[in-house]
Amino acid sequence: MTTQRETRNEVFIEYTKSICPVCKVVVDAEVNIRQDKVYLRKRCRDHGPFEALVYSDAKAYLESGKYNKPGTIPLATQTEIVDGCPSDCGLCPAHKQHACLGIIEVNTNCNLDCPICFAGSGHQPDGYSITVEQCARMLDVFVEAEGEPEVVMLSGGEPTIHKNILEFIDLAQARPIKVVNLNTNGIRLASDRKFVQALAERNRIEGKTVNIYLQFDGFNERTHLQIRGKDLRERKRRALDNCAEFGLSVTLVAAIERDLNDHEVGEIVRYGIDHPAVRSVVFQPVTHSGRHLEFDPLTRLTNPDVIRFLVDQCPDWFRADDFFPVPCCFPTCRSITYLLVDKSNGETTVVPIPRLINLDDYLDYVTNRVLPDVQVRAALETLWSASATMGGPATTAGLETTAAELECTSCGIDLPAAVKDLDDHAFMIVIQDFQDPYTLNVKQLMKCCVEEITPDGHLIPFCAYNSVGYREQVRSRMSGVEVADVVPNATGIQELLTTSAHGTKIAGSPTSGAARSAHGTGQTNLGMPAVRT
Amino acid sequence: MSTPRDIAGHGIKACCAAGYGSDAVALLLGTSYHPGGLPLTRRLARALALNPGSAILDVASGTGRTALVLAAEYDCTVHGLDLGTAQIEQARRAAAEAGLDATVTFQQADAEHLPIPDGSFDAVVCECAFCTFPDKNQAAAEFARVLKPGGWLGLTDITVTDEGLPEELTTLTAWIACIADARSIDGYQAILSTAGLGVERVEDHGDALTRMIDQIEARLGLLAMTAPADLEAAGADPTRIRHYTRLVREAATAGIIGYTLMTARKPISPTRPRHDAQVTEP
Repeated sequence: MTTQRETRNEVFIEYTKSICPVCKVVVDAEVNIRQDKVYLRKRCRDHGPFEALVYSDAKAYLESGKYNKPGTIPLATQTEIVDGCPSDCGLCPAHKQHACLGIIEVNTNCNLDCPICFAGSGHQPDGYSITVEQCARMLDVFVEAEGEPEVVMLSGGEPTIHKNILEFIDLAQARPIKVVNLNTNGIRLASDRKFVQALAERNRIEGKTVNIYLQFDGFNERTHLQIRGKDLRERKRRALDNCAEFGLSVTLVAAIERDLNDHEVGEIVRYGIDHPAVRSVVFQPVTHSGRHLEFDPLTRLTNPDVIRFLVDQCPDWFRADDFFPVPCCFPTCRSITYLLVDKSNGETTVVPIPRLINLDDYLDYVTNRVLPDVQVRAALETLWSASATMGGPATTAGLETTAAELECTSCGIDLPAAVKDLDDHAFMIVIQDFQDPYTLNVKQLMKCCVEEITPDGHLIPFCAYNSVGYREQVRSRMSGVEVADVVPNATGIQELLTTSAHGTKIAGSPTSGAARSAHGTGQTNLGMPAVRT
Repeated sequence: MSTPRDIAGHGIKACCAAGYGSDAVALLLGTSYHPGGLPLTRRLARALALNPGSAILDVASGTGRTALVLAAEYDCTVHGLDLGTAQIEQARRAAAEAGLDATVTFQQADAEHLPIPDGSFDAVVCECAFCTFPDKNQAAAEFARVLKPGGWLGLTDITVTDEGLPEELTTLTAWIACIADARSIDGYQAILSTAGLGVERVEDHGDALTRMIDQIEARLGLLAMTAPADLEAAGADPTRIRHYTRLVREAATAGIIGYTLMTARKPISPTRPRHDAQVTEP
């Protein structure tokens, strides 16, 4: 007699830790491949099983492992190892990477109440704003950890409505920080030309850069209404024109949601390439932390989806592997490409740099056995990094070294000096998927290089800050008003959710905090022997 | 119209070697002269059962990149042959710079008349060049002759379907781009089999071809952007080159042209070379 055996419908590839998206208890998690897609699955004792799509291209997920660069140890850490990741933020000495990018949220208030906001900001009476002293201390902590940080991002809330925002920029520029990235919805830039001029003056200081990180989600009225609650198209246009006029460079930052604005990614790139102020575009699948529309964790957008949309919508310009994984964080978190753009004779020529230089020869840290040219590798590492900012000194230098490498010295033709000015032709596209309480994987978190700097002097990995409960903790302490843990507005757990005063979803009744598990944080992994006697 | 097959064999080979040595080709192809680049070279190397100390012959070694990688990563001794003197000189310089000139040597030679004693090498590699040899049977017989018994041949090359190529891709320009005299997989197997080499592995790497076309177009774009005068001086007309790359891309997309990795082995015990073209699928 033959016994019928059953085969699993998935390939088990990782065992890791995550959290319960409802009660935020640390739970074990497994990562599996099913039908060429990568999923993370976990189970909470109180709230049951959860599963989410983390990467929609299993082959790329596995192959990108070799681009995982050994991390750089921070000069200083702020906590001790006690309960393990993600409970010890941060940074704790177990963290695998230094901070490529530090974020200071200067306020919780905003002049918009967007239906999508990972910070849960808006016109709120119970928020906080940091003081000049707090900002100085936060910058000092960052400098202590990094020495000479490449980039600090000022964010919020809406940082341009903080009365001290220019002072904050001055504080950053008075320290050895090269680039200030101002993360804004652009409303003030559209109307307050004096403010734009004041930013531009700071951008002209020798060795210092101020870059505008402009929220820019698309061109359809529906996109604006669904994501921002208002039609902001005219104001975005005016903000961009003001930046161009005063000489500020801009990164267009698009939050992309499935079936909402995923058809607009190609047009956003084309618009950016055509606009004189724009030097880069960042696409972020909507982060399902904070406030957002209801979504299905199993069909959420991931980086390979955004790349596919770009390839489909700009077939003459891109193929999927023009977008190369970033080695400084976990390579599946972020992909970047650089384009050389030429606009002459009324024609736009676009050449992706990864087709000109074999990045694999330089950024494969595992299987390459011939040591690549260290100078070129270092240059490429600054370009394929979370700190890359068009116009910033390190990115400019990286592009120059890369351009020099592109010169054909071997064939006897020396390309003219024009090739050394490729920085002027270069355009950057970044695709960054942030983790949410469904997709959180401590493997990625432990190597995260984008850190929130907190007013009490911690550096907390961005995705831990937004997903694990640190944002709520900081806001409670800063404002003196209790903030309940935010739960993703996910399909499948709607019966557990109520809406908070900030428009976010929380578990149970808005004030009770009843969702906190009776087992306590970490109990599923810690504090008991492997075998009970 | 006249096709390359009408032109005397040596003329073609010299023309190809000169073509690959020319500024225009160097400008457009950069350091990677064959589809698939180093990753495919490594894949080929893994398929050849190389051991430390194995002796490898690299036929059409170009500027020596493959030879250096095989020597450095597989601890082999490599002898590279090429028809172009400029490439030989450049390859020798590269070996000296890498400190590998003791284990990697280069010599100017014709693939159809190898100046090599019988049974000298553990492996012969030939990347994207076999298709340009006018007398493929003769070249294959030479590969078989210089291999030790049990030695391996590793080829990566352009393949076409039996229906052949669009007419425009059979011109001399196309020949330099490895295309015009490419054969079908069965065709190559028959040639190797006739030479007494048993095909062991056939892998499709068609993606490598479209990637190379992308790369050529990208380099062309870069040069048109930064150095149009140099491009013109090198005799490279962007419009004409784009015309050919588009034709090749269309043919590749339609499956008319592919890129294939093949390995074949010389029998351990000496047998007479087979004179029939009968081939069995591996």
